[in-house]
Amino acid sequence: MKLLIVEDEQKTGDYLKQGLSEAGFVVDLVRNGTDGMHVALTEDYDLLVLDVMLPGMNGWQVLQGIREGGKQLPVLFLTARDQVDERVKGLELGADDYLVKPFAFSELLARVRTLLRRGKEVESSVLSLLDLELNLLSRRVTRAGRRISLTAKEFSLLELFLRRRGEVLPRSLIASQVWDMNFDSDTNAIDVAVRRLRAKVDDDFEPKLIRTVRGMGYVLEAPETK
Amino acid sequence: MMRVPSITFRLTLFFAIASTAVLLVIGYVFIVAVESHFLELDRDELNGKLALVRNALAKAHTQGELDAIPQLFDEALVGHRNLSITVFAPDGRILFASSDDAFPGAALKIPLTERRTEQSTLAKWEIGGHEYRDIVADVATGIAGIPPATVAIAINIDHQRIFIAALRDRLSLAIMFGVTTMAALGWVAARRGLSPVYRLAAITQRITATRMDDRLPLDSVPVELREVARAFNAMLDRLEESFRRLSDFSSDLAHEMRTPISNLMTQAGVALSRSRTSDEYREILYSGLEEYERLARMIADMLFLAKTDDGTLLPRHDAVDLAEETKEVFDFYTALADERGIELELVGQGTILGEALMIRRAISNLLSNAIRFTRPGGLVRVRISQAESGEVQLVVENPGPEISATQLPRLFDRFYRADQSRQKDSDGAGLGLAITKSIVEAHQGTIGATSSPTTTRFEITFPAAA
Repeated sequence: MKLLIVEDEQKTGDYLKQGLSEAGFVVDLVRNGTDGMHVALTEDYDLLVLDVMLPGMNGWQVLQGIREGGKQLPVLFLTARDQVDERVKGLELGADDYLVKPFAFSELLARVRTLLRRGKEVESSVLSLLDLELNLLSRRVTRAGRRISLTAKEFSLLELFLRRRGEVLPRSLIASQVWDMNFDSDTNAIDVAVRRLRAKVDDDFEPKLIRTVRGMGYVLEAPETK
Repeated sequence: MMRVPSITFRLTLFFAIASTAVLLVIGYVFIVAVESHFLELDRDELNGKLALVRNALAKAHTQGELDAIPQLFDEALVGHRNLSITVFAPDGRILFASSDDAFPGAALKIPLTERRTEQSTLAKWEIGGHEYRDIVADVATGIAGIPPATVAIAINIDHQRIFIAALRDRLSLAIMFGVTTMAALGWVAARRGLSPVYRLAAITQRITATRMDDRLPLDSVPVELREVARAFNAMLDRLEESFRRLSDFSSDLAHEMRTPISNLMTQAGVALSRSRTSDEYREILYSGLEEYERLARMIADMLFLAKTDDGTLLPRHDAVDLAEETKEVFDFYTALADERGIELELVGQGTILGEALMIRRAISNLLSNAIRFTRPGGLVRVRISQAESGEVQLVVENPGPEISATQLPRLFDRFYRADQSRQKDSDGAGLGLAITKSIVEAHQGTIGATSSPTTTRFEITFPAAA
């Protein structure tokens, strides 16, 4: 997967490039709008991470230019100003998602993966990891063949984990995806909910699949075998 | 932009116009009175002379006596240079005409036929630059059998005209002088009358952001300006209060940010002072990340508050089912409440106009707060009620220690924590309730807190959906 980052802020650009490269993407970094649009139009990328405040051309102009040039790649824009009209403008111009600075890197990674996956995943009715299985149709969850009964929200939470397995999910993302709490809410509630899910899914089984990532969130993954 | 004329100018102008009008009316009345007085004098004189002529003619019993009348009149008219008498025979022949030829009796000929009446009437004439007033009447002679003669008596009234013209000139001068004086007095009165306003302005100028405690002294202000001064003082009170809040807020903000940043700096400095194992570095980064997370949340909350404060964040006007939203929020907190042995209960329902996401956030903050301060086994209850008037009330109630009356209103202040030791509680920088309040106010609602020894209540009242 090849990504293009257009970001003029030195450190932000470098860290984004490093982070996304280490997450397994091929990443190009351009530091101004004019070059950004040129590169985006001449080469093939799977996704564009676009800062709004740019020297030369601003993010909106770049976005417009790319869409007019016929490129349909997903665009995630970064903005420092969380104004409603700013967001609306971006989405109207054809951006696919946005993040307000400051943001957690894990959040960015999660959004990037969502955008890349969009429309590509073959919808399967069973999600699984190792011996953990979740059936979307019968709404049954089993681990090692044993039936696990979950509440509706626990089911949604596990479904989110399984769909995004291997990704660190920030608490804010979990709150908004599972409970529709699209704002900063009491994170203790998330911690408790995940703990309860763990008790049902992990406590009596090995290996443990849900892991806490300090300062970032939670991830569901098969532990690396050392 | 049109310039607004000054009050002094307006008052001066008003005085000038008013006094002009009054003086003109007085002058007019005066002149009319003088003229009618002259008319009376003339009438008396003319009637007197007519009576004289009537008398003389009545005594003439023969043609001879009649012919002697001119002589008689000439003698009687000695010294009456302004008077002229003409007597016409019934056939129009002039029997007698006084020597004053400035008023030729002939001039009377034409109107004579029209004015011949039993009653004497006065008329005004202007001939050859002179003005006259005359009287015309039919007078019977002593000779029997002949029709009455017609007598016209006129007096020259030039002296009246001259007098009135002079009077008019003097009155005009007096009026001009009067108007000027009134205008000047009006200007002085306006300036003096407005002096309290200038004093107010002087006091106002002393008031600055750093010296906001100055107030306008109500006692030394005239009654008319007292309301203005009172309103002004009230505005200063409000400004001072918001200034105080703003400055408290800024210093709180600086303080709130200084602590985590200082921690981060110390931590990084210490970490770099010697080489460490990768586990230690990881630990340091994690701890830093947590600190950053807190800062980022604080900034996001502050921005939210700033936006609701300056009115850029206006809620939409959708129908929001409060019970539905509360259930959603309950869903979110169920696990947490369960774990702490706290029961959540929802009673009643109500619908308001607003933005669901913002309302949910407000309820979430109140619930989070309630759960945090409730001991295990307690019950957090949300009661929603819709009054007849359409007003909707949402009450969040939890058992908890009493909050003192002085602390209650401050609960909604930014960064305020009733319990200072809770500083490092995992959640929030003390902005939750402030955010709730600004959301409620953005919906034109009010929020308040009450506390009894056993229960803490937060009450939101939303206005009836218009």
